[in-house]
Amino acid sequence: MGEDPSLTEPNPSSKVRVTISRSDPGAERTFLVERIEPMMVLDLLLAIQREHDPSIGFRYSCRVAMCGTCTLRMDGRAILACQTPLEPGRNEVRLDPLAGLPVVRDLVVDMKPFFEEWARVRPYLEPLEGLDEPVHLKPDSPERQIIDPSLDCITCGACYSSCGLADHRRDFLGPAALNRAMVLIADSRDAAGPERLEAVTAGDGVDRCHYIYGCTAVCPKGLDPAAAIRRLRRWRLEGRPR
Amino acid sequence: MDTDVAVVGSGGAGLMCVLHAAEAAPELDITIVSKGAVGRSGCTRMVQGGFNAVLDPDDSFELHFRDTLEGGKYLNDQDLAWTLVNAAPEVICELETKVGCFFDRAEDGSIRQKAFAGQAFDRTVHRGDLTGIEIMSRLLDQTFRIKPRELGDVRALDLLLDEDGEVAGLALLDVRTGAVAVLRARVVVVATGGAATMYRIAAPAREKTGDGVAMCYRVGLELRDMEMLQFHPTGLLAGESRLTGAVLEEGLRGAGAYLYNANGERYMERYDPERMERATRDIVSRASYQEIMSGRGTPAGGVMIDISHLGAEEVERRFAGMVARTRQIGRDLAREPVEISPTSHFAMGGVVIDEDCQTSVPGLLVAGEDGGGVHGANRLGGNGVAESTVFGARAGDRAAVVARERNLRDPEPAQVAVSVERALAPLQREKGPSPFQVTRELKETMWEGCGVVRNREGLIQARKRIEALTEQAAKISVPGPPQMNNAWQEALDLSNQLTVAHTMIDSALVREESRGAHFRSDYPEQDDARWLRYIVVRGGQNGETEVSLRPVKFTRKRPEPDGPPAEALEVEDLEEGREDLKR
Repeated sequence: MGEDPSLTEPNPSSKVRVTISRSDPGAERTFLVERIEPMMVLDLLLAIQREHDPSIGFRYSCRVAMCGTCTLRMDGRAILACQTPLEPGRNEVRLDPLAGLPVVRDLVVDMKPFFEEWARVRPYLEPLEGLDEPVHLKPDSPERQIIDPSLDCITCGACYSSCGLADHRRDFLGPAALNRAMVLIADSRDAAGPERLEAVTAGDGVDRCHYIYGCTAVCPKGLDPAAAIRRLRRWRLEGRPR
Repeated sequence: MDTDVAVVGSGGAGLMCVLHAAEAAPELDITIVSKGAVGRSGCTRMVQGGFNAVLDPDDSFELHFRDTLEGGKYLNDQDLAWTLVNAAPEVICELETKVGCFFDRAEDGSIRQKAFAGQAFDRTVHRGDLTGIEIMSRLLDQTFRIKPRELGDVRALDLLLDEDGEVAGLALLDVRTGAVAVLRARVVVVATGGAATMYRIAAPAREKTGDGVAMCYRVGLELRDMEMLQFHPTGLLAGESRLTGAVLEEGLRGAGAYLYNANGERYMERYDPERMERATRDIVSRASYQEIMSGRGTPAGGVMIDISHLGAEEVERRFAGMVARTRQIGRDLAREPVEISPTSHFAMGGVVIDEDCQTSVPGLLVAGEDGGGVHGANRLGGNGVAESTVFGARAGDRAAVVARERNLRDPEPAQVAVSVERALAPLQREKGPSPFQVTRELKETMWEGCGVVRNREGLIQARKRIEALTEQAAKISVPGPPQMNNAWQEALDLSNQLTVAHTMIDSALVREESRGAHFRSDYPEQDDARWLRYIVVRGGQNGETEVSLRPVKFTRKRPEPDGPPAEALEVEDLEEGREDLKR
């Protein structure tokens, strides 16, 4: 592609210059977007769609950080577009699709590899025999103190994209799936704990983690998958907490 | 492509249906059709408050039932409401012991139940103030065990019937590739969610464009209570940002937040001096709307909510999520007033169904917000996710039975052709209006004309405007490739929204009284003598909407105190309504 003329023009302060990776080599990549207040990254995309190029490919649903579908990279960092404000004075932004996942179009990725790993840890509860009633469990029980801060994963893929191993595809279960496995192993209602622990501490499990902490740094829900991985390593040695 | 059970929609109702159909009949081939990401679309994920269920021995089905009817102003289908109340505890138990959810616990280790507006007993099961994500995440996890066929990013265009008028399947559009296809199915379950996004200020996820209700309308199914749309009183105002309309949780008012107009008056004094800001959703929404419309709102068209008098630390501790939400837009709920407005939230109306989610078309089931009658004229907080999961489960159970009884049938070819042609048209047109502009006008029209407060003139204007917009929508042109084309998808969403908007306005015109969420400034009183009747609309032969009124059947409980009998409808009532529809 030749030099984009809009890149060499001065950027008037009231506008934001947004550069977006596009799938079609002929598609416009740079847009000067009128600033509004407040403005999330999602609002930038909606403005481009409305005012500049209706064919731009991106995804969102709930816009309140619950669906986890608007994840993309802003200047290299994985974010949720809906909950990331454009700071005052900011007038340059680069947007790319998540790393390590096939691009469907423009900023839309195929989450299949992410969910394949999620599926590999058997992410569903395998209830103990005879579990017919909700268990009695005090809110401050040790089990819930491990689990509660690690729930709320919205499967947005930010950690997957930011994992230091993301480029070496791909014999690692990954931070989100391991976090889910940790939660289930800690859950006293689950019958598959020993098998789960064996599975996640095998070859492509916790030992592949290099503790770069990319996952924990970007999690938009403030979860700490790296801590979950450390915990799983400890349980391998010490056994599950019971 | 063939399947046994096709489920349209992958929110709480859709995934619960899949789970139940698979458990009841493991041999069935089940297909999920979702125009967004499977399990990550729709509104169940966004549910804050919780799930109403009778678990405490001191509570009772009768009490939950009464609360639901009082909330619904006795417009509810009583058999549906009774089903909801009775099945809710089983579903909570199933979610905890089979699905893997874990709800908040009380100090003694039992499931904690909190107080929620409009209920005589503390019966709302929850997980913090984000209950929906726990339910949806765990239901999505179940799909990795069940392994249904997942058609994510695939839009259902239309229901397809065979020559006998029975369900044959669906016309589909693959959003990623732009390819169209026919899916034959023994049973189709429609669970797409309502159409509350069609307002300028609205809370739901973007997928909620009434696709299911519009599809059902197009094949001639009856819709009821379409005038009943709930507005949540505290939607965030964030200028042109898409965040506008996002709900600030109900608990703020419960905790003692004040509402002010632009003149600094606590205006609830004029509307409900006793309960003030703690009045029910409909009353507070109406009061705020009237302040704004009378010129006492902020320049941006809002009012202010202020809870800073509790002290910043206290607000940060109790409402961390809401404080974060306001800071994201440069405000601080813990320290200053924040601008809000009523926001369009939930459609009580929908397709007429029975307790097993069956419709008048054999093989076609409807579950969740797409169904009508459970909530009557207003929904209680905490009865929404209960409805999705209870009726989703029942639809799944029923689908398993029906799928065994029915054969695959061939859709009428003409129907397929019409559906596909209609879908492809915007992409093929060289010139025409942009879908985004027409959607914006639809939202403006509904907000002004069929909003929190309605009147005859406004509704008639809105109706004319919707007709004009429908004509424009038929000329829309979208550029770009067929793959993952948001503008094209917006055009298809818009078409469904306009269909539903029509039915809402027609129903709102006919109901010449005020009840629950429906408030007519020209008929401000609730009129039980004439209006313990529900409005049914269906598509007629020549594109006209047929409207009829039916008396509510008090199969279990009469309005209290002893209300008047719902005698047969006087003919003039209906004629009056029809005349309005012709103007």
